[in-house]
Amino acid sequence: MEEHSIVESVLDNLPVAVFAKDATDGFRFILWNKKQEEVTTIRASKALGKADHDLFSQDSADYFRSVDEAVIKRGKLMKVPEEIIETKNGREVHLRTVKIPVHDKETGRLLVVGISEDITEQVKSLEQLERLNRHLVATNKELQETQMQLIQAEKLESIGRLAAGVAHEVKNPLALLLLGVDYLSEGIDPDDPNIATILKQMRDAVDRADRIVRGLVDFSSQRSLSREATRLSLIIEEVLLLVKHELTRSNTQVTVEIEKDLPFVYLDMSKFEQVLINLIINAVHAMSKVENRRIKIKARSESLDEVIKNEGARKREVFRTGDQVVILEIIDNGCGIAAGDAGRLFDPFFTTKATGLGTGLGLSVARRIVELHGGELTLRNRSLNRGAIARLILPTKLETGKVTPPINSSKEIDIPKEKLSP
Amino acid sequence: MARKILLVDDEAGFTQLLKMNLEKSGGYEVKIENDSMQAVAAARSFMPDAIVLDVVMPGMDGGDVQAQLQTIPSLAKIPVVMLTALVDSTELSEGAVAQAGNQLVLPKPVNLSLLLRVLEEIVPME
Ligand SMILES: Nc1ncnc2c1ncn2[C@@H]1O[C@H](COP(=O)(O)OP(=O)(O)OP(=O)(O)O)[C@@H](O)[C@H]1O
Ligand SMILES: [Mg+2]
Repeated sequence: MEEHSIVESVLDNLPVAVFAKDATDGFRFILWNKKQEEVTTIRASKALGKADHDLFSQDSADYFRSVDEAVIKRGKLMKVPEEIIETKNGREVHLRTVKIPVHDKETGRLLVVGISEDITEQVKSLEQLERLNRHLVATNKELQETQMQLIQAEKLESIGRLAAGVAHEVKNPLALLLLGVDYLSEGIDPDDPNIATILKQMRDAVDRADRIVRGLVDFSSQRSLSREATRLSLIIEEVLLLVKHELTRSNTQVTVEIEKDLPFVYLDMSKFEQVLINLIINAVHAMSKVENRRIKIKARSESLDEVIKNEGARKREVFRTGDQVVILEIIDNGCGIAAGDAGRLFDPFFTTKATGLGTGLGLSVARRIVELHGGELTLRNRSLNRGAIARLILPTKLETGKVTPPINSSKEIDIPKEKLSP
Repeated sequence: MARKILLVDDEAGFTQLLKMNLEKSGGYEVKIENDSMQAVAAARSFMPDAIVLDVVMPGMDGGDVQAQLQTIPSLAKIPVVMLTALVDSTELSEGAVAQAGNQLVLPKPVNLSLLLRVLEEIVPME
């Protein structure tokens, strides 16, 4: 058995690091126990008689010295909840330290005694816990979002069922009214021009009510698509044929610029036609007070990275970076969007048109259809000229983009289905 | 000779007005049946040139009536025009006429001139 003083044995077997510095002699170390050797990876034989600046980095040593001086000056114990020292082999050790000023009666020296607990493991596990927690919070948020989407989809589903039911009930009385108007329209009294006007208004009213219920059903029933690979130029051509009447009547000039070799897009033709028709009709309406009515339809393909660079990070949610997308723009030189309306354009039933002229469902239906295609639809003012740009971003791959989860497809509308076969 | 049309729809007001309109347009003799359960019997006694049939009706719906007509040789050949207030946007968008086999489906509210054209086509005046 080696000969040691009790104090020495106790000190060397303590689970905490203990050291002492002589404040009256340049804060040189006069005590350095075993645990302190372990924590700092510096042997007592090397440390004793040295100061912090001989043993640690400049920054650490400066810091230790400032604490030591404060301890002496205040003559009171100081707690350092966490300090980090870097050992020679590059390991970071986290310590919780108490520094005590001691006046040694025997020698008359002023000492700083330090006791440090190695809390590296605790800190590490805390960090890990925090990381885990952050991950959990993120996962939870994601789950909540998914749940919100599901609730939203569910809501739409029940609105859809409600709308279909209401539509059926409303259409029957409308049918009766229209037949009444039809009957009265034959052989009206030519001496009273009011009658013709009244009947025309009644007919328009029936038509408007019919469009509203149909729009509502459309809006809430856009759930599934039957998509096929198609050229955008083809569909644009078809749509222009369908709106030809509107265009000539309003004396609107249309130019089409489609980039050559545009990749295929996967579209539900009839639904997508509906989108383009809505947008073109909107443009025509927006130009009603303009002299030279012009619509430009432009399509080009871009890699999504460029789009993100130009449009901000929002697209990341919808598309994967690196994807090739097709950008379709419908540009008009109409009245543009009033600042206060920008946030509401896509709300169902939002319209600035006179009662009877717009139901305010066009854009909301259009956006819903585009989103079902995994795409994005925005409407904004042109930056240089008067007018608005409707911009569609469409994926060129079938699997790209968000797919609305199929919601309980067994749930059918409660009204008996059309029987088409004899 | 006037062409005979049988109207089957549970909405009495609607059938009445449709009858008035058809008769006013000339050349039609119209009979109304508001009870779909009686539709086949009405067809048998009236022997119409065409039947205008609502889809959604209590009791038998339009499809049921149609199916039963098919089983009776003397009635199977009578052309049927279906009317419906259902909004199945895929089949009936823009008031399009959805055609399946020999059968026509027109949306409600009914476009009278379209119905007249359709009837003109399926039962031409001799
Ligand atoms: N190209 C455009 N330029 C300026 N404003 C527009 C344009 N397109 C739409 N808007 C504005 O957005 C509103 C909503 O459009 P949306 O298509 O949803 O409904 P609507 O055109 O009013 O009615 P509906 O399309 O149902 O007949 C319009 O009333 C109009 O104020
Ligand atoms: Mg619109």
